[in-house]
Amino acid sequence: MSAAADTGLSGSSIIVTGGSRGIGRAIVELLAAEGADVTFFYRDAEAAAAVTASGQAAGHNITAEQVNIRDAQSCNTAVERIAERRGHIDVLVNNAGVTRDNLLAMLDDADIATVLDTNIGGVFNVTRAVVPYMISQRSGKIINMSSVSGEKGGRGQTNYAASKGAINAFTRALAVELAPRKITVNAVAPGMIETEMSRELRDRAVDEVLSRILLRRIGRPQEVARAVWFLASSYADYITGHVLCVDGGFKME
Amino acid sequence: MDMAEAEFTQEEVMVVYPTVAEAMAEALGCDVGQVTLNASLIEDLDGESIDFLDMLFRLERAFKVKIPRGKIIEEARGELAESDFEQNGKVTEAGMQQLRAYLSEVPAERFPSPMKVADIPRLYTTETFCRLVLRAKRSDLTAHAHR
Repeated sequence: MSAAADTGLSGSSIIVTGGSRGIGRAIVELLAAEGADVTFFYRDAEAAAAVTASGQAAGHNITAEQVNIRDAQSCNTAVERIAERRGHIDVLVNNAGVTRDNLLAMLDDADIATVLDTNIGGVFNVTRAVVPYMISQRSGKIINMSSVSGEKGGRGQTNYAASKGAINAFTRALAVELAPRKITVNAVAPGMIETEMSRELRDRAVDEVLSRILLRRIGRPQEVARAVWFLASSYADYITGHVLCVDGGFKME
Repeated sequence: MDMAEAEFTQEEVMVVYPTVAEAMAEALGCDVGQVTLNASLIEDLDGESIDFLDMLFRLERAFKVKIPRGKIIEEARGELAESDFEQNGKVTEAGMQQLRAYLSEVPAERFPSPMKVADIPRLYTTETFCRLVLRAKRSDLTAHAHR
């Protein structure tokens, strides 16, 4: 990387939601390894402790905050604390998300509310808390975790797909609003990635899934984290309002 | 007009003014010397709506108060019901009267007619922001007193 420009990530202050497991954990670890000061939000205390412990052992700057992103006040308080501690917030990665897959007719109210409140409601809550700081700084990068489901139909995912489609629309609209202050807003849309979240589907229908992926393999969380790393870095200064697919060339019928 | 003038004395306004002026200069990226008490953020100092928001965020942090964004217009309309204050996005005659009293620091000739509700922030001067801070501080005190 010696010939390349500075990524701008070293010493930067980054918030990652849903950072204790899966893709979120890979993002936290990659950005911290770049020298960023990463604070991640989590629900699962045990998984979070494992991330901070291995990060600290590697000499990385990782802090965990237990935050319920469905609660706006809890997001405001946490973000205020981080801003006071670090003096600035350079990157926000809205990664936290949940699935409650089922056919529409089988979904109960809670399956719908939990997915929408967490996946898109959480993005609103955390972003609203962070944006005032980025506006005042006249800089910042926001990266939202979308999904291939946001663009392509998938059985049993009306709730999840609706939340991810909303994230894509949110990303484009916010990019317009924040451009005057040089804040970029982008999304990453992973396809089938090897995480706990997709385990059930992979176990049930791996051949069918693979047949739809041009590269004929499941992606790794680190491969998604690389895309986030790119959008968070100064290499992506001229990219905003974009949804970057990291899906091995996914096609749906 | 008398009502609003009695709300805060000029001395009270001047206590918060230096910090408010500094926030204004930072929000606009201009020299603090360009900021005067009666300069309008948008009309005189070429601010945009995002600068207006930045101004509110900066004041909240500098004075440790909450200025709910949704309350800006609500506060301006005072006792008037929303339907009496505005119709189809335009401020009514009664609304204009209330607005002139609320923004007593803004010279009368700056109020356009008809006036769109969305254009109300265009009237805000440095002094308006000072008064906004004083009101927020006061309601904060009231909130604490009732605890």
